Amino acid sequence: MGLLALQRLMSLQCDRQRHQRRNRHLNGSIAAVGKRKSLPCQQDGYGDSKSAKRMRCSIPELPEEIWHHIHSLLPLRDAARAACLSRAFLHSWRCHPILTLNRCILGSNASVPRENLSCIIDNILRNHTGIGIKIFRLESIFDACNYLDNWLQIAVTPGIEELTLKLCHGEMQYNVPCKLFSDGVQSSIRYLKLSLCAFHPKAELGPLKNLTSLQLHSVRISGDELECFLSKSPALEQLHISACHEIMALKIPCVLLQLRCLKVSDCQKLQVIESKARNLLSFILMGAMVKVSLGETLQMKNLCMSCPNLICSARAELPSTMPNLEILSIGSFDQRVNTPMLPTKFLFLQHLSISLKFTNPSYDYFSLVSFLDASPSLKTWLLDVAYPTMRHESFFGSSSELRQISEQHHGSLDTMKIKGFHSAKSLIELTCYIVKNAKSLGCLTLDTTFGELKCDSGMIGGRCAEMPKDFLTEAGRGAAAIRAYIEDKVPPIVKLTVVEHCRRCHFDSPCEWI
Amino acid sequence: MASAGSGDEKAAAAAMITLISSDNEKFEVTEATATLSQTIRHMIEDGCTDGGVPLPNVTSKILARVIEYCKKHATAAAGEEGSSSSFSDAAFLEVDRAFLEELEEFDDAFLEVDRATLFDLILAANYLDIKGLLNLTCQKVADSVKGKTPEQIREMYNIVNDLTPEEEAEIRRETQWAFE
Repeated sequence: MGLLALQRLMSLQCDRQRHQRRNRHLNGSIAAVGKRKSLPCQQDGYGDSKSAKRMRCSIPELPEEIWHHIHSLLPLRDAARAACLSRAFLHSWRCHPILTLNRCILGSNASVPRENLSCIIDNILRNHTGIGIKIFRLESIFDACNYLDNWLQIAVTPGIEELTLKLCHGEMQYNVPCKLFSDGVQSSIRYLKLSLCAFHPKAELGPLKNLTSLQLHSVRISGDELECFLSKSPALEQLHISACHEIMALKIPCVLLQLRCLKVSDCQKLQVIESKARNLLSFILMGAMVKVSLGETLQMKNLCMSCPNLICSARAELPSTMPNLEILSIGSFDQRVNTPMLPTKFLFLQHLSISLKFTNPSYDYFSLVSFLDASPSLKTWLLDVAYPTMRHESFFGSSSELRQISEQHHGSLDTMKIKGFHSAKSLIELTCYIVKNAKSLGCLTLDTTFGELKCDSGMIGGRCAEMPKDFLTEAGRGAAAIRAYIEDKVPPIVKLTVVEHCRRCHFDSPCEWI
Repeated sequence: MASAGSGDEKAAAAAMITLISSDNEKFEVTEATATLSQTIRHMIEDGCTDGGVPLPNVTSKILARVIEYCKKHATAAAGEEGSSSSFSDAAFLEVDRAFLEELEEFDDAFLEVDRATLFDLILAANYLDIKGLLNLTCQKVADSVKGKTPEQIREMYNIVNDLTPEEEAEIRRETQWAFE
């Protein structure tokens, strides 16, 4: 069809040599040359004789390859049902290119016993020609261990673009066989996502030329094995590693020139991250206490990490090491050192998120003003100060006046949200400063809760999550401080939202905190 | 690549391509618009477009719609190239999001056609090798059969069942899980 028609068109215009070049281009499109031979309405063009030829096909109007393509766009259940439409559809089902196999898709009927899922999958795969699978996802299937080798052998063939293997905890011993990565698979695979299994790629493995995304979650792989695998994946753009507890050092080799996004979370044994990838745009690190060395970072736009005393050093160092930051999310436990006022700027920073947990009682929240003054483009600022230590200087009972520093108008900040708002004097001072100086502020949210589950979430039996009494008391003080010192300073143009703990679940009598 | 209406008339003229429909109507489009079609892109690369590109399988009515699609998406492609935000983890890409939403709205409106036109668009997209348009139009057909029984689908699209009753029963047994 398309190809033949195209050839007719070409012969009008160009010489034979040029045909060949075009035909090569077309191999990637629907009218794949090899497949055409096995289909009954192969020769069907839609030129002059189209109506006569369509009559002979079981599928009217559209050529069979197109129906095959449409069939491939159907979700798995619909695609399977369509297999009994006609011989052509059956053939098309036998080489369905996207196999997403999980409990939700295969057994929408909750009564399907979980062992049956393995049987269903086994059936689908044994009847599949194994040709043309582009995406193979196996997700949360129990008791699949005995079948896995077979399934992967059928599904992972040259031409595959995505392999997602999300096993269950019982299957953690499963070792993804290295021999799956044949030469053909090495060059076609683009996305590899492994979860809850072991993966020990051998040093002899050839290059994975097109692998752009690698995600490993709870995978048993050593740092050396991973480094070796990475060195063979020069096209990698995204790397996500989470809960891989055998990795102690994560080393990103310099050949990863395409690597844009590196995300590492909750790897308990991880001590060092050393990246030589020069073009990172986004680095996200969560969970572990890790020594990080990122090399060249001038291009970095998105940084997310936390470690002790990070807030202060971020303010001091990042304007020069990461001058192009647009999104910055930093967190710190036990922050002791206040943020210095400095002349350096974050010229492009638009979104700032700062999380301060279990902050030292002497910590001065007001010093965070330094970030606002350094960021002329800042639009949103989220500040999470939940779980304060209770020994900070509450404004109630303090004799001193609120501090004020010289005014510096800020013209971009639109949204400010403080979670875990409490009555620390320096926090009230910071809020008052923002209300006064952020001239474009549209939304101010002061949330005295810690973001815990609430009774209206429908998650936990209609009651809010329980909170220790002293936290509730402090939250109540925070709400009182808002009413006493902040509410009347908020210009009418600013939408102020105050979030408090639910009285029904937490307090027998209101206002018991004052 | 020069765009239409650029100050330099010569450059603009050089970047225009004439497409000729089956009913002999001529359409002038920019090269950026035309090269969304891989078929035409290769012809341009090979210098086979002088005197216009005859498209004997596409009527003027359908060609006009195809060009409408290509114009919109050529702009989108240019926008994507100019945008620096190519990494997916950035949470706040408002500009890109608004742009994509607009494109989605365009696509939705574009698909508001009768079945005959939809099928003609599919055929044209396949013939001209415009991947985005082919996927868009085929997805529309796929969406229309979602949740339908085999009988309903055969009826909708006039698909002749050439399986024997025994064969069909066997396939249904095999795919029983999808009918539950």
